[in-house]
Amino acid sequence: MSLLLLIPLLPLIGFAINGLAYPKLSKSIAGIVGTIPPLVAFVISLQLFLNFDGQTQIIQLADWIKVADLSIPFAFQIDALSIMMLLVITGVGTLIHLYSMGYMAHDAGFGKFFSFLNLFIFFMLILVLGANFTVLFIGWEGVGLCSYLLIGFWNQKNSYGDAARKAFIMNRIGDLGFLVGIFLLIQEFGTTDYQTIFSTIKDGTEVGNIGLIAFCLFIGAMGKSAQIPLFTWLPDAMAGPTPVSALIHAATMVTAGIYMVIRANALFELSPEVLHFVGWIGLATALLGAAIGLFQNDIKKVLAYSTVSQLGYMFMGLGASAYTASFFHVMTHAFFKALLFLGAGSVIHAMSDEQDIRKMGGLKSKMPITYLTFLLGTIAISGIPPFAGFFSKDEILAALYHHDFAMWCLAILGSALTSFYMFRVFILTFWGDFRGTEKQAHHLHESPWSMTIPLIILAVFSVGGGLINLPHFAGGNEFLAHWLAPILPEPHEVGEVSFFSLEMGAPLVAAFLPAIFAIYYFGIQKAVPGNDESVQGIQKVIYRKFYIDEIYDFVFVRPIQVLSTFFAQVIDFLVIDLIVEGVGKTVKTASDEIRKAQTGNVGYYIFMMVLSIALILVLTLRSRIL
Amino acid sequence: MTAIIALSLFGISNLFLGFWFPRKTIQLVTLLFLVVSMALTVSDWNHELLWFGNMFRTTNTSINFSLIIQLAAFFVVAFSKAFGQDDEHTHPAEYYAIMLFSVVGAILMVSFDHMIVLFVGLEILSVAMYVLTGSDKRNLRSNEAAIKYFLMGSFTTGFLLFGITLVYGATRSFYISNIGTILTTTAPESMPSFLFIGVLLIIVGLLFKVSAAPFHFWTPDVYEGAPTIFTMFMSTIVKTASFAALFQLVSGIFGSLYTVWVLPVYFISMLTLVVGNISAVYQQSVKRMLAFSSISHAGYLILTVSSKQISTTSSILYYSLSYTLATVVAFAVLILVSEYQSARVEKPENFSSFEGLAKNNPGLALCFSISMLSLAGIPLTAGFWGKFFIFSDTFSRNIIYPVILAILMSAVGIYYYFKGIIAVYLKAGEIEKIEVPTLFKMALWACTLGTIILGIYPSLVKSVF
Repeated sequence: MSLLLLIPLLPLIGFAINGLAYPKLSKSIAGIVGTIPPLVAFVISLQLFLNFDGQTQIIQLADWIKVADLSIPFAFQIDALSIMMLLVITGVGTLIHLYSMGYMAHDAGFGKFFSFLNLFIFFMLILVLGANFTVLFIGWEGVGLCSYLLIGFWNQKNSYGDAARKAFIMNRIGDLGFLVGIFLLIQEFGTTDYQTIFSTIKDGTEVGNIGLIAFCLFIGAMGKSAQIPLFTWLPDAMAGPTPVSALIHAATMVTAGIYMVIRANALFELSPEVLHFVGWIGLATALLGAAIGLFQNDIKKVLAYSTVSQLGYMFMGLGASAYTASFFHVMTHAFFKALLFLGAGSVIHAMSDEQDIRKMGGLKSKMPITYLTFLLGTIAISGIPPFAGFFSKDEILAALYHHDFAMWCLAILGSALTSFYMFRVFILTFWGDFRGTEKQAHHLHESPWSMTIPLIILAVFSVGGGLINLPHFAGGNEFLAHWLAPILPEPHEVGEVSFFSLEMGAPLVAAFLPAIFAIYYFGIQKAVPGNDESVQGIQKVIYRKFYIDEIYDFVFVRPIQVLSTFFAQVIDFLVIDLIVEGVGKTVKTASDEIRKAQTGNVGYYIFMMVLSIALILVLTLRSRIL
Repeated sequence: MTAIIALSLFGISNLFLGFWFPRKTIQLVTLLFLVVSMALTVSDWNHELLWFGNMFRTTNTSINFSLIIQLAAFFVVAFSKAFGQDDEHTHPAEYYAIMLFSVVGAILMVSFDHMIVLFVGLEILSVAMYVLTGSDKRNLRSNEAAIKYFLMGSFTTGFLLFGITLVYGATRSFYISNIGTILTTTAPESMPSFLFIGVLLIIVGLLFKVSAAPFHFWTPDVYEGAPTIFTMFMSTIVKTASFAALFQLVSGIFGSLYTVWVLPVYFISMLTLVVGNISAVYQQSVKRMLAFSSISHAGYLILTVSSKQISTTSSILYYSLSYTLATVVAFAVLILVSEYQSARVEKPENFSSFEGLAKNNPGLALCFSISMLSLAGIPLTAGFWGKFFIFSDTFSRNIIYPVILAILMSAVGIYYYFKGIIAVYLKAGEIEKIEVPTLFKMALWACTLGTIILGIYPSLVKSVF
């Protein structure tokens, strides 16, 4: 109990120390102060995990909001789901803190960076530990804030600040939906407490608006987890330092939406139409993200669109009620995507902040550890067995196969695209000849140990992470499924799958074929994408990200700008100022007039008093006396 | 009860002490007297008893009001700076004695169980105030104010007395409890009409004392003319005592005659709010602004008289306390600033005298600003909760429009209170460091701290009331 409190408390303390002492603390101390809290929190979480007896535990910390019948305590909930999330957040978080010590070593804002990272970990832990939607919402908003701060960390550059604002505003749109969802929950259930709400539902009590509530909550998830139509902030968020992209925009924060839907699975199960919607949004996002990823030349942008696409897969799984599969993918994705981002960071670090893969190539020999770990990550995300990504993605696909055949076909297509663009990035970066400048070539080096150790650890998990939920056909015992069973609905019986069916075969083909094609085209033919002007036709449309940013700009941003200009220059000036100043002037004039009643003449005063008394008596008593 | 005997004796002994002791000592002794009398007042806590031939009743409510009054007196004495060094024209021993006597009157007004006690208490208080108002003998304004106050005060005393007589005529009793029994058991139709006139006249008499419009005309002139220290006394003690008396009559024995007085009271409350707040806007003098502010606060309090909720008593007590704390600070700073400026500018009590106060006197500026914020009802000060409790009580009684007007008027209030803060902080001016006596400083910070503590944790006293 008391140990548990340390889990969120330690990062908060780390934040306070680094935040207050910056910039007086030396970099090495700031790095250690920043890295120890998530590490200790991880150890405590691990101990919690090992001693977990399957019982959901509620820890009441304080009465927080008490208004009339509504009572919202500040409480934590420890159960199978939150423990798993704790492990992922603190585990991956620790590695990324460690990595940052190397990556940010030359940055002037070192201490500030670590204090923000710690604050993020704190809010993320609050998000998963909360025992009701309101506490979750604090974490939800808090991680949004940290995401904003860290995307705009290098705010000397205007476009980075814009990216941060974009992320924040898009998230706010989602948050509004989420907030409405919470209000509806309060209206219908009179509480935001998970256990009360879900047990009410399980008892079969009739409650209205379930579909609307689920829909509103999903809008929140759309924003936080970058789903269509609120996904464009995530690629822009790559403006932040690479460790931030790995931690926040790949491994943890963006999966908060999936966590929340899994948490509220009882609500979503009652509204099949919303689940259906979730699935199709996920599919569309997965395909769109994968398609845009095909032709991007910025190494981080490719990974960003890949994240968008993988998040889409997770929502597809949720749409098919395959909660375990989705959560499994959350975990494996946390490993291999963090790995890929950190690998990319290592490359960028070595290339003196170059992010364009057209100017890389041939890094294999110069950075062997980065090369090898990135390769493992690429294989994992492409879904090639027996790496982690294969098992988790395959489970989602299997669920889709039984849920909706058309969805499954499209998902296979997306999977093929994934495999292609990941191998493309990989080959263009590490194989062939070096295409950068002399200066960059001279400077090329393998990253320091603080960066390679996290890479190696994450690579191990990307390879072996599938063991967490190894299916029966591969000789496993589906540990994660059993672990999460208490908080999930009864799974649909899928039946045994054979290795040589369409259901198993298609994903394998979709993983291998594009990879081989990419190896042939980029590796053997040594094709390199041309410069920006040479792209034509449909390829240009995709390269320009289907012009979605431009469309949003035209449909939403411009009209709002025009409207706000109108309000600022016309309404504010003509209406608001007129009313406000008018009221002020009226009061002043009235004051000047009333003041004149104060003549200073006692006779007049007494006369007025007598008159008033007479008036009061007459008006009050006329019915009684007359 | 023993408190009033003790205070009377203390007052008399004060007169003698004046022969032998310097002013500073007398001030300290008076403070000690007030502490003793407060302790004696507290000793009656939870003993509901009748005294002096059943004419005087101590209840927890009356004890609370008495304590607020004595606390206000304590601060006024602490702020009095022993009336300077002018031996020829100021007589501190007498002033302190008169203050103690008037506190006796005020306590009688909150604890009466007999109409004559009410009248006697009111007169003790009023006559003392006429004298103190005119105590600056060589100042024409002070003399004029005293005469004005005396003329109009005695005029309304006549109304009050006439009202008491009429009520006596109808009920054949001066005892509050007897009158109450008769009024509740008799059907209104069978009562003589002059009873209602009597009730209204008594209410009017007390409304004059709390300076409700249209009986407020004396307030700005008298407040401005009186020495500031006695204005402080008037605006806190006289107001609290008269309001307690009014509240106890109206919500107590006259409660059954609700329909008779409720409309005039609403009307008067709204008129008071409008006149007080709107007039304050144009004032250039801080002292006069505070006079109108005290009128407008009377408006808020009258509004709540009729709400008759269980919590109303505690709301009124809370409001009186928060108003007292903020008002004494405002006047205290005014005393310091006007004293400093009197040799430098023509009108030392104007807002312009406060300009640039924050530069060399940050403490004074802060205390003054907090008291202004509290009077304006800004959250995290006691004044906010005072207004909040009153509005919510009134609102839960379904009295909508007067509350809306009151809220609008408190918005107007922000304008003139903030004028003070703006002058202190944002305007440029040359004020050197003002020397503040230790006792004065301590009292200043005590009140300011009280305002903040009550603002953050209102249930600290609300639970006692």
